[in-house]
Amino acid sequence: MKPVFRSAQLFRTAASAACLLLGAVLASCSGAEPVAEPKGAELAAVPAGIEASSPAQRRLITEQQYLNTVANIFGKDIEVIAQFAPMQRTDGLLALGASKAGVPSGELQKFQRAARQVAAQVVDNGNLELRLASHRDALMPCKPAAADKADAACAAMFLRSTGRLLYRRPLSDARLAQMVDQAGKSAVQLGDFYAGIATVIEGMLISPEVLFIEDRTEPDPEHPGRRRLDAYSYASRLSFFLWNAAPDDRVLKAAESGELDTAKGRARVVDMMIASPRLEGGVRGFFDDMLGFDSFANLAKDPSAYPSETGATLADAREQTLRTIYDHLVTKKLDYRDLFTTRTTFMSPTLGTIYRVPAKPGWTEYQFPEGSPRVGLLTQVSFLAQHAHPARSSPTRRGKALRELLLCQPVPLPPPNVDFSALENPKAEHRTQRDRVNFHLQNPVCAGCHKITDPIGLALENFDGAGIYRRSERGVDIDASGALDGKGFTDIAGLSLAVRNHPSLPGCLVRRVYSYGTGAAVDARDKPLVDFLTAEFGRHGYRFPDLMRAIVLSPVFYDVTPPAPAEQKSAAASN
Amino acid sequence: MTHKLSRTLRAVLLAGAAAFISAAAMAAEDYVPENGTIGYIVTDFEWQVYLTADNKEECAAGLNPWGPREQFKALYPNGGSVKDTHMAFEIAGWFPNAETPDKFPFYEVTGKKSYGLNLDGKVDADDFVSPDGKTAGIDNELYRVIGCIVNLRPPEGATAFYANKAVMEERWNRVLLELTNVDSMTDDDSVDVTMYRGLDNLLTDATGSKYLPGGSMRIDTKWGNKYVQHFKGKIVDGTLITEPVPYTVVPWSSFQLPTEQKFHDMRMQIKLQPDSALGIMAGYVDVENWYWQTVKSESTHHQSYGQSTPSSIYKVLRKRADAYPDPKTGRNTAISASLQAKMVQTFIIHAPGGPVAMAPASSPKPATASQQR
Repeated sequence: MKPVFRSAQLFRTAASAACLLLGAVLASCSGAEPVAEPKGAELAAVPAGIEASSPAQRRLITEQQYLNTVANIFGKDIEVIAQFAPMQRTDGLLALGASKAGVPSGELQKFQRAARQVAAQVVDNGNLELRLASHRDALMPCKPAAADKADAACAAMFLRSTGRLLYRRPLSDARLAQMVDQAGKSAVQLGDFYAGIATVIEGMLISPEVLFIEDRTEPDPEHPGRRRLDAYSYASRLSFFLWNAAPDDRVLKAAESGELDTAKGRARVVDMMIASPRLEGGVRGFFDDMLGFDSFANLAKDPSAYPSETGATLADAREQTLRTIYDHLVTKKLDYRDLFTTRTTFMSPTLGTIYRVPAKPGWTEYQFPEGSPRVGLLTQVSFLAQHAHPARSSPTRRGKALRELLLCQPVPLPPPNVDFSALENPKAEHRTQRDRVNFHLQNPVCAGCHKITDPIGLALENFDGAGIYRRSERGVDIDASGALDGKGFTDIAGLSLAVRNHPSLPGCLVRRVYSYGTGAAVDARDKPLVDFLTAEFGRHGYRFPDLMRAIVLSPVFYDVTPPAPAEQKSAAASN
Repeated sequence: MTHKLSRTLRAVLLAGAAAFISAAAMAAEDYVPENGTIGYIVTDFEWQVYLTADNKEECAAGLNPWGPREQFKALYPNGGSVKDTHMAFEIAGWFPNAETPDKFPFYEVTGKKSYGLNLDGKVDADDFVSPDGKTAGIDNELYRVIGCIVNLRPPEGATAFYANKAVMEERWNRVLLELTNVDSMTDDDSVDVTMYRGLDNLLTDATGSKYLPGGSMRIDTKWGNKYVQHFKGKIVDGTLITEPVPYTVVPWSSFQLPTEQKFHDMRMQIKLQPDSALGIMAGYVDVENWYWQTVKSESTHHQSYGQSTPSSIYKVLRKRADAYPDPKTGRNTAISASLQAKMVQTFIIHAPGGPVAMAPASSPKPATASQQR
């Protein structure tokens, strides 16, 4: 036992030291915020001296991307019940896990079930009694000569256009002929032209070219010896980033025409995409990922502790934050940092029970009054409930989430043999979370990391584990004072302002957007570009759509990073 | 209501109730609603009946044994045509006759205790006293009629169950109370109370069976104006006490049938909490309306659950009606009653240009309760 004990002790000591060091580094981060000068203008182009490229990837399509793509191609009334396996969160984003994900046989069955649902609905003939429209009439550009026989011309017409949208590039003639042949054989076997079409659609929807978003490269004529994404891969990267869905006909046409090969053409297409209502899908997709909202799929509150926090409440909490973000950043084009101090949000009747405010059916814009403790995203139920225990709040989880999600400051994991007894079974005199946490901090092994998280988490103690406001805990008024990296505050409004002005806040967003768009984690080579974009983001008033535009138009979005020499050697050997 | 409970269970319940009352009293103690306004929504309605575990105190002769099945069997022991048996029996309920004597005995409440209010301000010999013995002169003749009918004795009796199932599942019967000009939820000598019909579903927890406070409710501004009623009141020791208003219509429903309850001289006594309220709406209910709503919205099948025979009930209802005589016949048209209402807090959303608190509606009957007593 002794060696094990020593080993554990050493680990804890090392972890504590690492946390203390990190705390010191974080504390030194507090500096003057960048001065915002020109607002609304385009961010400057990346200077020539800064390396701006990203690796070619092969990414598994996400569930939301799949659903958005199906809705865009076949219509929003196509119902898809799909629950694809979650990606592995990497460097703060699920999107990075998509480049490492595969499709085992069990998962393929899920894709196939979804594909079968979609295919059946695309060719259905409606139902007058159920008042369901005929999808085939709306989606098929032609009618077969006989509905119970094969019709190669009509099949080719439909499959050519649909295949191009699903595969995100034109089908080769050979491939199309193969599909038409398959549709014809199935039509003969099944005695139904549309059933033949459905089998091919189902096959397309589970083909690797649809399920995996592959970056194909070509020689870069402007940089001999290097490669860039081909126009279709660039179109897909653009579209999955800006719309969280596959490119539409207009974007593919721009790829076909060569427009995406020119700076002017790229700018026109990007501006068109940013002006599209589909941008909402892209913005929501990014922040859903960045804020870790996938955890809502498994989030539940103890109904005996929080009877009003039902599954419907939590779903609305997620939706509320996404609506707030999109409205603030895109509809109103406001400063990203002000998301953390805004009192404007959206309210639903279900959420009204948590916020204790009246709410009309549906979603309505809502303004918390001055003096209200609801200030910014940190005080929304999504953050407060997501980062808490099922039946109580958690200053540690909230502080950790704030550090990691919003400031990109990783907090080390606790040692494996951490003793929670002091926290889980507190003495009666420890009536508030602050008392319990302070007791916990008497252990120097714990204190190192908890000093990073808990002081800011304690500022949110006016909200219980469900996100409901409370003035006191067990009869004791809650003390919400604290400090964030040297900035002191006395209440939640002070914490929100400290986060809003934290110098790491904009840079963290830029880093996340950059990674999300390119599908690769930021490393040392990317730092100059990220720093440049962060500075430009600040100079232009922290307008999020401008940041998205700057990133997708920068070379990093289409220039391909050459493999490291070791990788080249390995690739050559395997070839 | 008294039940045989184990000593332990009773102790636990008493302790829990004491804790609840204490916590609720603390919560209400210093509570002043924002802008002097607080809304409630009714989640449960129940015609108040004072019950004891063995029925002896209130029903000396026992509970009514002659339900539809029992009466039918006695009336038609040898069967007969559908017209002469089933249809004849149904017609007796649909076209009741108060003039002819009942062929079956009907057991009325014989006890002296009842819930309710002293509606006429007098203490008559046949009035009830409150279960705690503190209040005399309680007028609740409806209880005298229904108190020994199993179907109308909740929780076992199914009538209240189905009425409240309708509250959960339907929206026609959404009753809102809004208190305005409230300076204190403990003591306030003048508050305004307005009753509305709401539009939205009730808010429940994840189980779907527990109503939650804090929801929002729109007022029915299209079809709900007839249900808007204004009361003047006061709050005494946390209890809202309103003055009576001449005529109030309460939206009601049972078995998907939108109906109404019609009250003369309704007044309320409701214990208020920030998150909930519990109390009574008492007055003289229109006999014909009550009969058709309560008895005829149930099928014979449901009436048979608890020996509730419409034709028999009607005769006693008419006999015990104690207010609002018909000017032509002199027969009373209304009966004193007490309706328990359980509520949770809700935010009431007023639409621009929506209904305003109406002046108390005038009674459709010229007589007053005091005139006929």
